[in-house]
Amino acid sequence: MSLYLFQALNGIGLGMIYFLISVGLTIIFGLLNFVNFAHGAYYLLGSYLCFTLVSLTGSFWLALVIAPVVVAMLAWVTEKTLIRRAYHLPHTFHILITLGIALIIQELSIAIWGPIGKTVAVPDALSGVISIGDFFYPKYRLFVILFTAVIALALWLLLERTRFGALVRAGSEDAQTVSLLGTHIHKLFALTFALGVGLAGLAGVLAAPIRGVHPFIGPEVLGLAFVVVVIGGMGSFSGALVGGLVVGLVQSLMTTLWPQGASLMIYGAMAVVILLRPYGLFGRA
Amino acid sequence: MTKPNAQTSIFSGVTLAALAAVILMPLVLPSATLATEILIFAMAALGCNLLLGYTGLLSFGQGIFFGGGAYIASLSMIHLDFGLFGALVAAMIAGSLLATLVGALAIRRTGIYFVMLTLAFSQMAYFLAYTLSDWTGGDNGLLDVPRPALSLFGFELADLTSSYAFYAFVGVLFLAIFVFARRVIHSPFGTTLVAIRENEGRASAVGFSTNHFKLLAFVISGGITGIAGALYAMLLNFAPLSNIELLMSENILIMTIIGGTGSLLGSLLGAGTIVLLGDLLSSIWPRWMIILGVALIAVVLFMPSGLWGGVESQCKRWKERRCTAGKTSGKAQEAK
Repeated sequence: MSLYLFQALNGIGLGMIYFLISVGLTIIFGLLNFVNFAHGAYYLLGSYLCFTLVSLTGSFWLALVIAPVVVAMLAWVTEKTLIRRAYHLPHTFHILITLGIALIIQELSIAIWGPIGKTVAVPDALSGVISIGDFFYPKYRLFVILFTAVIALALWLLLERTRFGALVRAGSEDAQTVSLLGTHIHKLFALTFALGVGLAGLAGVLAAPIRGVHPFIGPEVLGLAFVVVVIGGMGSFSGALVGGLVVGLVQSLMTTLWPQGASLMIYGAMAVVILLRPYGLFGRA
Repeated sequence: MTKPNAQTSIFSGVTLAALAAVILMPLVLPSATLATEILIFAMAALGCNLLLGYTGLLSFGQGIFFGGGAYIASLSMIHLDFGLFGALVAAMIAGSLLATLVGALAIRRTGIYFVMLTLAFSQMAYFLAYTLSDWTGGDNGLLDVPRPALSLFGFELADLTSSYAFYAFVGVLFLAIFVFARRVIHSPFGTTLVAIRENEGRASAVGFSTNHFKLLAFVISGGITGIAGALYAMLLNFAPLSNIELLMSENILIMTIIGGTGSLLGSLLGAGTIVLLGDLLSSIWPRWMIILGVALIAVVLFMPSGLWGGVESQCKRWKERRCTAGKTSGKAQEAK
């Protein structure tokens, strides 16, 4: 029984990381109306920056703050220089441009950090396990669950309770009208892109001590994020949260039952959702 | 009988250009193996082009059909003792069946969701191939794939072990597929696909069952890509796991786009460019894929109709310049 509790907690931690990745994808899609195929690559960048910062300064906490900000700033620059030029083009072209960016980031990462994976040590304060009765759980994984929950809450408040959030939500409904009402829509686009990508970078940092850093993780992360948004429905905060948790739980519980097939089962779950509810659990037509 | 017009005739300029390319490539390129690789990827790009260029479906699932075709052809030759044509037919059927499966699920959604689904299925196929390592060899790939001789009804016609013989065989097959693809595009079926690409709502309002057309386009594309995968396994004598990776789907897609969508010669040009670029650069600089990423962005921003579109507009400009230079000769040409 405690094995299942252990795996369920693992699944929630994993699911919250998937949530961070997919919610960024979803926010960007909502406002800018295109899917960022470089999302997995920015996650990769977050992980690698975490590795570098930890090996340079020895402080995971510094990496936790700096790496996502650097990733977000890079995203902001990319939006300003490249993606902006494609807004008037069809959907397909955004996908291709971000695909190009993903290739460049992945190959540059290999050029800088080498083709072999790296590991990031769990920070000292969070190494070891915590015991609740006779149940033991790694401190770091518990920290990930709590930390991502705080981030999720903050993000919800940002989107629902601030002027910026109101603009993002209004822009998702009708960007042109928001622009006509006097908002600098391009600034909003750039900020939103940076925010969404920064969340992917943060997910990369949080996952680094658990899963290590591997240069080819980008496509896998992108695929997982797509599964989450297909299951949860694109463009909704709650969809990303529930979708992320479902995928995380399926993956980690399947790891105990059928280790080799755990990754496979996620995609199986997605196929079932597509067959039964083509618009996702929370999606609208 | 009316005279066949230039568009539907198999002897049109486009086909002749493809024929010329097939004949010239082994003479110009350093090795027949490289030329064979170009033709194989040109086939895969043709399959992708049918979906992307003519039906407007951006599929990240081409690697599934490519890798699936490679595995099925290899397995049928190793375990069932299939001959050359048997293996190719098996690969074609496998590619079509996989395309039916992926297509049927993915076309339940349109637009961006469709693209995401094909990518997710591509990842799924990769994990499936990885998990079934008893059959696929997992990370090591499927080794010792034979390259059977060309035989008909038990008579051996030609041994394909020499790289030039195999090139000739692939060349003939490529031309056959090229002509077939042209016939598909210029058939009423093909024009319906273009109608779906331009405006799916209207096509369906006119009374076409667009999902059936899209699925059929998938099946044709999958079959062609499956054959390409089988030939690739025969070329390498090996079916690596990378055949079915997402990167393969991306590569096929990039070849199609850089070459130019909506023109079959563009696929040949795109495959040729990328394979040659890879061959030249990968030995000098292992991270040459960065250039591929830059090229993809550049093509999307500055040359959306791809290299072939660039060639076409260059030709047009050249013709116009000739027209202004000598008006009489220009008029004579127009009169033709």
